[in-house]
Amino acid sequence: MKSRNLLKFGLIAAAALMVFGCGSGEASSSASSSTPTTAPTTEGKKLKIGVSIPSADHGWTGGVKYWAEQEMKKHPEIEWVYQTADNPAKQNESLDAMLAQKIDGLVILAHASEPLTPKAKELHDAGVFIINVDRGFTEPVADIFLAGDNKAFGRISAEFIAKQLGGKGNVLILEGVACNVNTDRVEGAKEIWAKNPGIKVLDSQQADWNQQKAFEKMQTMLVKHKEVNAIWAADDDMALGAEKALKEAGRDKNIFILGGAGMKDIVKRVMDGDPMFPGDVTYPPSMIAQGIELAVKTMTGKTKAELKAWKPTNEVVKIELIEKANAKDFYFPDSIY
Amino acid sequence: MKFLKNNQALVALAAMYILYVLIDVIWWKKGVATDPQNLRNILSQNSYTGIIAVGMTLVIIGGGIDLSVGSLMGLLGVLSILALNKPADDPTKTIAAIVVGVGAGALIGFANGVIITWGKIAPFVATLAGLVGFRSLALALTDARSLTSSSKDLFPGLAQGGIPIPGAVDAAGRPLLAHWPIFIFIAIAAVSSWILNRSVYGRRLIAVGANETAAIYSGIRSNQIRVISYTILGICTGIAAVLQGSRLTGADPASLGQIVELDAIAAVVIGGTSLNGGKGQIWSTVVGVLILGLISNILVISSINPNWQGCVKGVIILLAVLIQRGQKSTS
Repeated sequence: MKSRNLLKFGLIAAAALMVFGCGSGEASSSASSSTPTTAPTTEGKKLKIGVSIPSADHGWTGGVKYWAEQEMKKHPEIEWVYQTADNPAKQNESLDAMLAQKIDGLVILAHASEPLTPKAKELHDAGVFIINVDRGFTEPVADIFLAGDNKAFGRISAEFIAKQLGGKGNVLILEGVACNVNTDRVEGAKEIWAKNPGIKVLDSQQADWNQQKAFEKMQTMLVKHKEVNAIWAADDDMALGAEKALKEAGRDKNIFILGGAGMKDIVKRVMDGDPMFPGDVTYPPSMIAQGIELAVKTMTGKTKAELKAWKPTNEVVKIELIEKANAKDFYFPDSIY
Repeated sequence: MKFLKNNQALVALAAMYILYVLIDVIWWKKGVATDPQNLRNILSQNSYTGIIAVGMTLVIIGGGIDLSVGSLMGLLGVLSILALNKPADDPTKTIAAIVVGVGAGALIGFANGVIITWGKIAPFVATLAGLVGFRSLALALTDARSLTSSSKDLFPGLAQGGIPIPGAVDAAGRPLLAHWPIFIFIAIAAVSSWILNRSVYGRRLIAVGANETAAIYSGIRSNQIRVISYTILGICTGIAAVLQGSRLTGADPASLGQIVELDAIAAVVIGGTSLNGGKGQIWSTVVGVLILGLISNILVISSINPNWQGCVKGVIILLAVLIQRGQKSTS
């Protein structure tokens, strides 16, 4: 009996070690890397900045994680408190934990706007300097807002399709997970479809930002729709899945795909003049690095009072159309995404 | 009539398909319900989940459950592509990819079984830990990057190749292929069905699942029997992972195999296998897989608003189970 209890305890301890060991490993490694060099604050102690981003559950969020970690490594003079979260509820909890650790500043890319606004407000009221990246809060609680523009993403890519087709043709749509990001992109595209009566949207399906799902949904849609001229996908992961379905069905002639977010594989093919991918639009995951850099630059050397008196600023990350001519400016072979 | 009463899942599948054809003929007039390419797609898309569902049937009949298979599939896919990409470009590396993917699957399945039986941890809890842990391991191994196969033809050919379907061609005029995974799925189902119904191991597994205490008193080593079932499921998961990696010419650690465990368990239950263990059939799980696949296909073809598709799917699953129950009570 005793030995079995011992075994159980051992297993639980091992499991706990695995779970917490992994989790805190990242945080502590980034924290421990910050021990040397001088403290840059005026108040005599190291600046403590929290970074809260969604977990890497598809290519783009993987990119966000990569860029965030790269940027934090560049600033060992800051004590980083770094957390990724699976969903808005978890992100709320990690913000609570950060508040308990008395962070001075927070760089956040929110899972979704509404569920995180109250918590962000709480932190802001507690004197935390907030840099919000990509998705805006529903109340003006951010001191610096670096906005992504998903509507523009949809508009620009749909405009490109309309232009390529000469205002006339059949289009299939692949949407991401139902959420604000997806809705904004699809709505942005819809504005353009409405202006081009010659463009017919035959069908629209959700493929959850996922290559395999995009592949399978597109296979099925292709059986139903025999005349398709272009595919609009809400991001590049799904664009790759759509291409596999076209090839597999022998339908890869006289058709093109427009995804978006500037995945390096796609940008490379735009650069090479691949007829399947005549263009792409940017939505750089590196915007998180911009946010972190802004946090360091703005907060270093300022007193609490100075930060408190800071006037909120807004900046929009520009969404750009990538075509063959300018593709090389957007191609980063070493990037993760 | 007796045949129908004993094969309720098949009745549900047939009813759904007939309804599909009728709606297509009367309403859509697109011929999709009988289009060979569409039918091939349904089989091909669901053979991966199907292979896992077959292994899951054995585990569930033995009185267990495994929630970790989806995450495990992600991890095994990653390991397999890593093995594929390590050595120089030659045919042996495709073999390495298969051996690593399936072998690691067998090992981890075995470990799952040992933790559950000798470690005396409830299967639900032990494999829940796997569900969380394996995915994290896959992400950690790759730094959350998705991997691309360095083999251009041989490895992708495992899932993308197949046997031409007589008389059917695709839009480019090439013969339509029935992909290898379809046949692998059928073969694994046939072998597992034989194991369950004809082998000594199968009878012992049913006995353990029905009443473990009685089985132990009659001299069956129940722990051993159960560990083997988890190992078989691990092997099945490895095969599915390697094939999916081949089909997508790479592995994405975050999304590969996501929620496959739920689809696999749903297929087993829809097929009529009891979650209490001790009762069930492999072929009815195959029918369950086809029912789920048919539902997904109909939902996409019917252009129902994507936000509502989950609701419709849930209702159809309940109906499919109800059809079975109705049949059972009259027998």
